[in-house]
Amino acid sequence: MSQVSQSVPVLNVLIIDDNSARVAAVQNALTGTAYNIQHLASTKSSLLKEVEASNADIIILDMESPSRDTIESLSVISNYNPKPVVMFSTQDNPALLQESISAGVSSYISGQIDPQRVKFILDVAVARFNEFQELKQELKDTKEKLSSRKWIDQAKALLIEKQGITEQEAYTAIRKMAMENGEKMEVVAKNLVSMAKLLAGGR
Amino acid sequence: MSSISSLTPISLLNQIEKPHLDLGIVALTDSAPIIMAQQLGLFSKWGLNVELHMQNSWATLRDKLHTEKLDAVQMLAPMPMASSMGLLGPACPLLTAFNLSMNGNAITLSQSLFDDIKCLNGGVIPDLPLAGQWLAEIIEKRKLSPSYKPLTFAVVYPFSCHHYQLRDWLESGGIDVDKEVDIIIIPPTQMTQALADNTIDGFCVGAPWNTKAVRDGIGCTVITSCDIWSESPEKVLAVTQAWQRANPNTFLALIAALQEACEWLAFLPNRFETAIKLSQPEYLNEKLDIIAPALLDSCLTSLESSPREIPAYIRFYTRQANFPTLAQGHALLVDMQRAGQVPNSLTDLQLKQWIEQIYRPDLYQQMRQIQQQVASM
Repeated sequence: MSQVSQSVPVLNVLIIDDNSARVAAVQNALTGTAYNIQHLASTKSSLLKEVEASNADIIILDMESPSRDTIESLSVISNYNPKPVVMFSTQDNPALLQESISAGVSSYISGQIDPQRVKFILDVAVARFNEFQELKQELKDTKEKLSSRKWIDQAKALLIEKQGITEQEAYTAIRKMAMENGEKMEVVAKNLVSMAKLLAGGR
Repeated sequence: MSSISSLTPISLLNQIEKPHLDLGIVALTDSAPIIMAQQLGLFSKWGLNVELHMQNSWATLRDKLHTEKLDAVQMLAPMPMASSMGLLGPACPLLTAFNLSMNGNAITLSQSLFDDIKCLNGGVIPDLPLAGQWLAEIIEKRKLSPSYKPLTFAVVYPFSCHHYQLRDWLESGGIDVDKEVDIIIIPPTQMTQALADNTIDGFCVGAPWNTKAVRDGIGCTVITSCDIWSESPEKVLAVTQAWQRANPNTFLALIAALQEACEWLAFLPNRFETAIKLSQPEYLNEKLDIIAPALLDSCLTSLESSPREIPAYIRFYTRQANFPTLAQGHALLVDMQRAGQVPNSLTDLQLKQWIEQIYRPDLYQQMRQIQQQVASM
């Protein structure tokens, strides 16, 4: 691990496994790479806490581990940071399994630990996971934009109707109000709409 | 498919497409219909040679079903919906035509949390089932402490009745579940340890794990799923829609055998025998005094109080219990929506279309007809 060049950030890999031979094989395979291995036994009930405390960037565990549901729930429960998960598998048709796994969250390492492939699999898992997280963030941003547009459109329509001004003038008025009050346009628009509703008798 | 109903039982048995089946289960008390069908030779009676495969996690059981490593599996009732809709995971169209069990879950609180509630009640155990308001009071009280941490509860899987039952109970006390408590996922076999070492303050889980927590003196079972919901499917038998199309007769034979196992389980003395079987190392590997109570409609509460009698604590059979209705599917989807797992934007019509693909009461009825023909022979 000491040979890692300065420019490559170290990625912490947490292996949750009771098979010490396998842990050693992975450790050997990743010596001299950017991956830094930590090891945990699978049967600890405080697993979730330790995973959080470990600062792991990626988790490896056996697909037959009872802890799989706990580890996968990291991507479901918002209080915990989602992490890419790679699973050991003794299944004979990894391609089929690979197709079945959750988009961007998990991957499988099948059969024997091949030192040549472990690093590659981890690289791909991290890349796919990051891509998936970006997509999720983009989707969230788009949704937020849409919702803020919706409020601004409603406020504009109100101003056009009540004040008899053009759409451009309505937009400029909302923006000016936002700048003067140091608030987001969406917030100003929302206030305008609720105020109008209040004045109209709380429709 | 239209040819099936005209088949005689004998020709059904002659036309089993896939006599050897790999069946996935998670070792729990309500695996009893599948384990007993095997023990009683009911699968072979219907021309099937079934091998049971214990799975340690629901996600791995799901992946193996999707990729046909397993032909059929015992699933948490909401899982076929989650798989078919591709919720937080890969999409694969599944179907169910058989409820393996109803009810059977309960909520257990840690001894220290329960002692706090007793304290609020002047040192006396409050009435059970415990009202959710007690928890709300505890939360309000603890919020005043500078070292306040939200209560943490565990359930076995995000798509589970346990999860929705816990939410419903907490909400009934006026608790804002998403803001005021943490819900985490822990496998059933590790629940009691997590409660013992204070990783969690309580859990909602199926038998035998509530009983074990009480016997170990680490928790108090305060309410059962029978107190929260009435008669809802808990575990179902699931296959992929493609598998059922390829093996229609095999599928009917499989659920016919399971129906007979469920009928056998309706008789109380048989349930004690079942408890003995389940306690063996190859199944639950727990002591009889941990497994038997729930099967005998007894809910242990705490070491200092008597058990509660819960009629149909785990229900395996009534004339209607194993019949999966569209209404049951709809109710589950609404629960999933309320937990924020199914988009609220889906219209009622869209929900209905999903349910009609996944819930197949017609297949259950075909199986019943064949059973009646067998009985009249």
